[in-house]
Parts: sequence; C-alpha cells; structure tokens
Amino acid sequence: MSSRAAPLPEEGRLRSLVDFYATQMRTSVVAQLQYRAANYFYMLGMVAEPVIYLVVWSTIARQHGGAVNGITAGQFAAYYIVWTLVRNMNIVFGAPFWEWRIREGRLAGDLLRPLNILHYDLAYFAGWKFVVVALWLPIAVGLSAVFHPDLHPSALQVVVFVVAIWGAYFVRSMFQATIGMLNFWTTRGAAVFDLYMATEMLLSGRLVPLQLMPGWVQTFADFLPFKWTFGFPIESLVSNLSTRSLLLGLGAQVMWTVIGYVLFTFAWRAAIKRFSAVGA
Amino acid sequence: MAGGDQAVLGGGRVNTLRVGWLFFKVGVMNELQYRVNFFVQLFQSLIQVGTGLVMLSLVYSHTTELNGWKESELLSLLGVQILLGGFIHTFIQPNMELLMQDVQQGTLDYALTKPEDAQILISVRQVRIWQVVEVISGLVLLIVGLTGVQSSIGAVDALAFTFALGIGGVLVYCFWLILTIGAFWVVRMEHVLELFEGIYQTGRWPVGVYPGWLRYSVTFLVPVAFAVTVPAEALTSRLHWPTLVLSVAFAAALFAFTRWFWRFGLRHYSGASA
Amino acid sequence: MSESVVHVSELTKVFKVPEREPGLRAAAKALIRRQTREVHAVEAISFDIEPGEVVGFLGPNGAGKTTTLKMLAGLLYPTSGEARVLGHVPSRREKDYLRRMTMVMGNRNQLQWDIPALDSFELNRAIYRLRRDDYLAMRDELVELLDVGDLVRKPVRNLSLGERMKVEIVGSLLHRPMVLFLDEPTIGLDVTMQKRIRTFVAEYNERHGATVLLTSHYMADVEALCKRVIVIHHGQILFDGALSHLANEFAAYKTIGVLLEDGNVELDGYGEVISRDGDRAILRIPKAETSRVAARLLSEHQVLDLTIEEPPIEDVIEMVFAQSR
Repeated sequence: MSSRAAPLPEEGRLRSLVDFYATQMRTSVVAQLQYRAANYFYMLGMVAEPVIYLVVWSTIARQHGGAVNGITAGQFAAYYIVWTLVRNMNIVFGAPFWEWRIREGRLAGDLLRPLNILHYDLAYFAGWKFVVVALWLPIAVGLSAVFHPDLHPSALQVVVFVVAIWGAYFVRSMFQATIGMLNFWTTRGAAVFDLYMATEMLLSGRLVPLQLMPGWVQTFADFLPFKWTFGFPIESLVSNLSTRSLLLGLGAQVMWTVIGYVLFTFAWRAAIKRFSAVGA
Repeated sequence: MAGGDQAVLGGGRVNTLRVGWLFFKVGVMNELQYRVNFFVQLFQSLIQVGTGLVMLSLVYSHTTELNGWKESELLSLLGVQILLGGFIHTFIQPNMELLMQDVQQGTLDYALTKPEDAQILISVRQVRIWQVVEVISGLVLLIVGLTGVQSSIGAVDALAFTFALGIGGVLVYCFWLILTIGAFWVVRMEHVLELFEGIYQTGRWPVGVYPGWLRYSVTFLVPVAFAVTVPAEALTSRLHWPTLVLSVAFAAALFAFTRWFWRFGLRHYSGASA
Repeated sequence: MSESVVHVSELTKVFKVPEREPGLRAAAKALIRRQTREVHAVEAISFDIEPGEVVGFLGPNGAGKTTTLKMLAGLLYPTSGEARVLGHVPSRREKDYLRRMTMVMGNRNQLQWDIPALDSFELNRAIYRLRRDDYLAMRDELVELLDVGDLVRKPVRNLSLGERMKVEIVGSLLHRPMVLFLDEPTIGLDVTMQKRIRTFVAEYNERHGATVLLTSHYMADVEALCKRVIVIHHGQILFDGALSHLANEFAAYKTIGVLLEDGNVELDGYGEVISRDGDRAILRIPKAETSRVAARLLSEHQVLDLTIEEPPIEDVIEMVFAQSR
C-alpha cells in the first residue's frame, strides 16, 4: 500500500493555528452554552463584589457633598459597572485550573499533541468570553438602571477599551499560567495563589480605583503588571485619559504580555522537566 | 441486651446525636493528619484579614463614619463576618460540598441506607478543622474592634450577641442546605459556592448602606444580614429587641421549611434513581 | 543506522520518592531536607522493534511497563540509556515526532467531556495540521472500522465506558500515526468490546503497516495480537521473543492427560497428580521427563488416550514471575 509509513501532508502553520483557534473557540461556546445556569450563578456571585464596593464608595461620596477625591457617585457607578465586564474578560486558565489539569491526569494527553499548551487555554477561554459577554449584557443594563453611571466615552476610548480588555486577558493569562506552574512542585499552592490574588486586589484597581490609594502605592502599581489588567482597561473607558496615556497603556500591556510569556516559558520548561522526571 | 433495649425505648434522638458526634470525631482525626494545612490556613487567614483591614483603612481615610458606623465598630462587624465565615467553612460548607458531590456521583445511597436521620448524617460528615483559624482571627478582630467602641458591653449584650450568632449559624446552614438540595434537580451546582461567597461578602458592611432591594435580598433571600449584622448590632448597642425576636421567628420558620424541603428532595431523588 | 522503528538500549528510569515520616517535626524537617528513596522502575532494558510489528508488553503491576511506554512517548525523561522512535529522541517532544505517534491510555480520556466527539475530532484536525480531505477520509475509515457512526454525535459524557474508548481511539488515530503505544486499551471493558478493539488494532496494523506496542492485563489481547512479547519484571526484561517460545523457555512442566481403562490404577509414582476423576487423570511432569513418563504410562497400563500439553499462557506468565522472584 502506498500509504504505508508515510506521514500525512501538513497544512500550513499559520492557517492551522487560525483554524485551531476558530474551532476551539466555537467548541467552547457550544460547551459553555450548555451551562447557562451555572454560568449565571458564577456571574451573580461575582457581581456582588463590585456592587459592594460601589455602594460603600457612593455612600461616602454622598456623605461628603457628592465626591471622594473628585470621583462622583455616578463615576463610581461607571467604574464598577465597567469593572464587571473587565473582570469577566479577566477569567483565564489560572492556577486552580492547572491544579485540576495535573490532578486529573489531563496533562499527559495535552503533552502528546504537537501544539504549545498555552494555545489550548487561550483559545478555550477566549471562546468562553462570547458566552460570558452575552450573559453579562442584561446584568450591565440592570446595574446601569439602578446606579446611573456617568459614562461618556469618545470613539477613540471605545476602540482602545475593546483592545485593552483583550490585552488584559493576555497579560493575566501569562501571569496566572506562570503562577500555575507552582502546582508542579507543591500540592499546597493555594496559599501562594491567595497572596498573589491579594496583591492583585490591592494594586490593580480591582478593590478601589487606584486614585483613592496613597500616592506611593500608585507609583508602585505603575511598575507592576496588575494595573494593566484592571485599572487601565476600566479607566480607558471611564476616565479622561489623554490619547498619549491610552496608547502608552496599550504598549504597557504588550510589554507585560511579552514579559509574562518569557516568564511562563522558563517556568514551563522547568515544570516539564520536573513532570517528566517524576511522571504523573 | 438490656442497654440496647433501653436505647431503642428511650433514646432514638440521643443515639442520632451520638452517631453525629462520632462522625465529627472521625472527621477531626482525619484532618489532624494534615498539620501543614494549619500553617497554610494561618497564612491564608492573615491575607484575608490584611485585605479587610486595608479596605477599612482606605474607607476611613476618606470619611469618619459610614452610615453611622465608626471605624472600630466596622472592625467588629468585620470580625463577626470573618468569625461566622470560619464557622461556615469549618462545618457547613464541607458537608454541603460532599452532599453535592454524592448526588452527582450517585453515592448518596451510602448515607441514606444508614439507620439514622439522614439530614443529620449528611450535615456532620466532614469537618475542616483547620479553618477554625479563621474563627479565631475573626474573634481577635472583634475584640480589637470592641476595645475601640466607647460604650461598655454588658452581660446582656454579650448574651444577646452569642444568641444572635447562633441564630445566624442556623440561618446560614438552612440557606446552604436549601441550595444544595437543588442539586437533586440541577446536576451542575458547583458555582453555587461562588454565588454564596460573593453574596456573603455583603456582610462586611452594615446592611443599612445597601439600597432597599439589595437590603431585602441579603436579609430575607440570603440571610447574610440576619447572620452578621444582627450579632454585631448586639455588641454596638444598636440592637432592638423586636429585631432579635424577628430573627428567631425567621430562623425557626426557615429551619422547618428546610426540613420539609429536604424530605421533599429526597423523595424526588429516590424516585429518580430507582 | 538500524532500520528499527523503536530502538531502546540500556534504558533506565529511577524515581526519587519522598519518604515521609508522620508527625509535625518530620514534616517541618522535610521542608528543609527531603528524605528520598530511589525506586528503579526500569533498569537498563534494550530491545528493537521492526516496522509493522505488534509487540505485547507483559508484566505484573509496577513492573515498569507503563514507565517504558511513557518514556517512548516522551512523557518521561529517561534517567540514562537511549531511546529512539522513528529516529527521534522522544523526550525532546519534537512536533514532527508527536505528529507521527500516538499513545492511548485505557484509563484516561483526552476528548472533551461536554461536547460530541466529532467536535473534538475537528480540534485534533487543527492541532495535527491535517488537510481537510485527508482528515475526512481517515475519520470515516476509523468510524466505520470501529462502528461508532452515531456515537460521535453525542456528548462524550453520555457514552458508556466502552463507547468512550472507541471514540477515544478514533480521536487518537486521526493523524494516521505510524507508531501506536497502547497502555491497557481494553481495561474495564466487557468481553465483546475487548474483542472489537482487538480486531480493530489488528486491522489498523494490517492496513497502514503501523508499529504497535501494547500492554494489557488480558492475555487474550496479547494472544490475539502479538506474535512477539517482551516480559518485564522488576524493571528488567525476562523474555523477549515469540509468544510460542515463551512456554518452551519458562514452563518447567508440561501436563499429561490420560484416559485409563482401569480407574483404580495408582498414579502417584509417575508425577504430581493435579486432578483425578476415576479413569481420567491430569499429571504435571517436569519438562525433561515428559516423554519418558508418557512412555512408561503407555507401557505399564492400558491407556485409551494420552495428550501432552503446554500449560496455559497465564500459568506460564505466572511461572516466569515466580522464577524471577
């Protein structure tokens, strides 16, 4: 037979990758649509967090003649409602998923296939976003009706925002995956993840807009990746950032994605070395 | 055997409690094997308390009082919320997660075939004893907060607090069990945990700050306000006796409903799996 | 350069297993200095497999079978020695290599749980960079061979264990690998399903000339598929050769079945009597003595029928392991 021992011809590299992303994203949309109820539980639980912050800060704003540090109740509302979208975009294949992947023995299967492992996770969660955003829209409308956000973005801001939420997705994916590598060395990584999450909480603009933080914290946050995953995308839409700051922000996201990718690659190599030394 | 006869005649309830206690002891012994978890838990509690304190100091760097609550009073409230959260994580949540898992994998039958009250059994099967660290850290915050509160706390206040906290525990237990029983019908329930954790965070702030619809939701729909705010009110001399009476009545009604709903769900489960 | 598809020489894998003592102090001490113990899972094994061969890997649990397969599939890094498959060093996990091999693990699933297998197949098409027409041809061929026509449209979670294994195999072979590592592919399946998968492996090997290395607890799998077996125990190769030679080499005994005219004859003097039912008896005789004993029986008694047989393959394997202990 002529087919004997001859490998099948290959499709082009880029075309296959695009094809893979399209297929994987479609797949994850189909899979996640089956779990609308579960997704809604998840989102409602998540929305509680910004609503609490929003209520607290707008109460303070009202008590103090309408604004805290120049931020009005309506601006707080805009910040935290946009927050909910950014938070959804920020759900990535993070450390707990890596723990699951190793514990359930899924990693061996992934390693047998000729594709960088990041692609699976990036593509799957990217597809999930479409489901999440569809489910998010009614929540956003409801929140806007209750809290009256003060939101007047320019066209440029909207464009930058759309790019920035994907930038946030990539930055966070890289760093979370890097942290996830810890699971190869310890089964008690949870403590470290908690520390990471707490740091992110304080320095990213997730807990409060960074403007409310002391000056030195703001400066500190500028030099870390966290702010580019929460604060920057939100403010690109709700604040009056100059065109220069908007573009610089996108640049920072690219830079942190690259840095995160390099860190991940190092950690991944070490992790694989360990994994193939001990087996699973 | 004479003793056995006596147990049958006199003490069905007593026996159930004894079995529950045994389960509890086994659960604790299991957990004691993993002592490293104590340090992990300690670390996690420190992070949790730290983040809470940062948020409080941020808020009070911009204001002196929030909805009539001063910083030390809110610190007490945070203490109560963390304390009760620790209690939930130690006793309630692990059992509810196990129940959900059992329903999904069809292994609940093991618990149902035991000759004891099934609701009690499924409520005491697991204890994550190291989470007690959270209870302690909550207690520390509470005490630190109370030392800053001007008015002194009388024995009556302390008693009312303990009582209200107990009621809060019952409420949260009922709420969790009702949600978990939902797993008899809806198979994928794992995100319920996130839902509860999210909503439970509302308990960190006085329920009065929330707009009306949310206030009612977290009071009656998800009884976080009853569970956290009422005990804290007892300590900060805000509690009105009618509120306490109302919360007792509410807890009793919810408990009765939970009991009925459990039996109802069980009937459905047995019917579906047979 | 040898022609073989799989070349293994002096391949060794040593695991370091943490030793833990109970107690808080030991746990704290372990944080600083880990006490470890070495486990020699595979010790200096060598063999070659020619193109198109189907080789059975036999051994009890923990013998090192799966460890060896994982090293060949690039999942485990060898401690020392050499492994080459299709000219590649597996542990480098080069994409060209991964595209030409597959590994099926009986107790693991690689298809996505929540969606029909067909959608997972599409993903594999993209991952393995297959051209659509090649993919469709291969998919339809496999679907037909394994008879999974309707199953591929159902979510994987709704399939039975056996059905899942079948679609799992389809998914693993879409890229038409030339080397197959099958680790317990029939584990937990009922007899009909085991047979089905066996026939399929034989068929695939026949059609595409693929090389197959498989482990299985079920001797029926091995007997049906493998002309050659490699027996491994405590990480070392005890036997490598034709399945039919295994008994010759390791069975120290043969069994003699006799049908006697007189049911009361005393047979204890001839050898170990395994069973006796009146005029029928089965004796276990050391291999070297079988012909002599048979001759004695024939000459000293009225024998209506006499057979000399190799013991069943399960017993042989058991003997192999018993001898090496």
